[in-house]
Amino acid sequence: MDQQQAPRFFIHGPSPFARLIVFSTLSLALMASDSKSSYLHQVRQLLVTAIHPLHFVAFSPFKLANDVQSYFVAQQSLKNEIEVLKKKNLYQGVQLQSLAMFKNENDNLRTLLETSKAGAHSSQLAEIMYTGRDPFTHKVIVNLGAKNKILAGQAVVDSAGVIGQVTRVFTYTSEVTLLTDKDLLIPVQVERNTLRAIVFGNGRNNSVNLPYLPANVDIKKGDKLVTSGIDGIYPPGLAVAIVESVNTNVRSPFAQIVAIPAAGTQNHRQVLILTRDTNNLVAKDIEKVLGADAQNPLNKKEKVSRRNHGPT
Amino acid sequence: MLKIRSTKKKKSQEEIMDQHSRRRVYFSLLAALLLQLLPFSGLLLQIKPDFLLLALLFWLLRAPHICNVGIAWTAGIIMDLVSGDLFGQNALAYALTAFLALMYQRRLILFTVLQQSAYVFLLLLVNQAILLMLKSFSGAEYFGWVYFMPSFTGILFWYAVLHSRYSFNFMAHK
Repeated sequence: MDQQQAPRFFIHGPSPFARLIVFSTLSLALMASDSKSSYLHQVRQLLVTAIHPLHFVAFSPFKLANDVQSYFVAQQSLKNEIEVLKKKNLYQGVQLQSLAMFKNENDNLRTLLETSKAGAHSSQLAEIMYTGRDPFTHKVIVNLGAKNKILAGQAVVDSAGVIGQVTRVFTYTSEVTLLTDKDLLIPVQVERNTLRAIVFGNGRNNSVNLPYLPANVDIKKGDKLVTSGIDGIYPPGLAVAIVESVNTNVRSPFAQIVAIPAAGTQNHRQVLILTRDTNNLVAKDIEKVLGADAQNPLNKKEKVSRRNHGPT
Repeated sequence: MLKIRSTKKKKSQEEIMDQHSRRRVYFSLLAALLLQLLPFSGLLLQIKPDFLLLALLFWLLRAPHICNVGIAWTAGIIMDLVSGDLFGQNALAYALTAFLALMYQRRLILFTVLQQSAYVFLLLLVNQAILLMLKSFSGAEYFGWVYFMPSFTGILFWYAVLHSRYSFNFMAHK
């Protein structure tokens, strides 16, 4: 009978060391499979959907405070805002009239050149829910997901320019990697002289780099970088960044070019997610090549060489 | 007979107590997770302590029969989901930290608050170091000592909470 009353201060079950071994093996296996294959993606999606209510609870006080604050905005400031918006509308209306004319002209010229028409991009308005948990990756979570037909790879912009790209889609939310993230690259053109380059996120400051350009490259401070559109992801002509400094070093054959993103990557709540532009010929071409490669991966090399010699 | 009944009764009472404290542990861990999920940004995000790990360590030291390596690992998996990291990164770091906490748990509960805090600080640093190592395997960059800010704020938070008047009363009551 005394044995029934086992003292409770001993830890029951397997020893901590045994548990540690089991769980660390499990997490190592999870890490390996998550980094090398994508079959855990479904599981992740399911679990993220499951913990969505927790997010909702955590945000509700902030949302409530925000709502209350916006309810009590002074009438005067609203009036001022309307005034400013009306003026802006007027200016933009005038610009829009000329734009329509230019668009017609451009379409006509393009038909003459037998190239594809630069289609208007449809887009979805998304709201940034929160910035990523890790302060050293530049990612934000927006409130549209697979339910809203968002696909990974779509470009995300605001009124001033490119913000980044959708990198992961969950059921109700999706993850947008900002262009300042170290892992995001965007093909750009210098607006002044149509020089092509690739913008790399810096990762540290709110800035981007243009590495691997020769020291004598024709880029000056204040140059505007716009998307070139040759990737088939970002439609051409969107502002990406303004060149901040160009330094050349005797020891390095490359110029060190730093640019500041045109879009407000830090201070926006609403962004636009552009739907993939299927009218784009380049995008179609890329898709075609990818599809063919997927069908017969062995002929890949041959195809590439053929493509390289093709147009001559 | 009477003796048997009395022991049985005692045991069931103990079980109820156990269930009670179990519920308290889970509830506080959930609250810590919610704190962790608060939509901070900018500087606040950089200095935000790891609330979930602090809550875990608190219960690991005080109720090791409820809060064990497995619970820590599960919390880590949830953190992986929340932060969008590779599956298992936070889980591994939390499990290792929990193990280190349990290793000296018997001795730690005899320490003073200051001594305990020193060890907890060490554990927080170890957790971040493990995470940094795992992240650098998958291509992350080291950002200097600012990376370890959450450990410093975390230990300040820990010390402040354990030294507050309320918790003093709570412990005396216990």
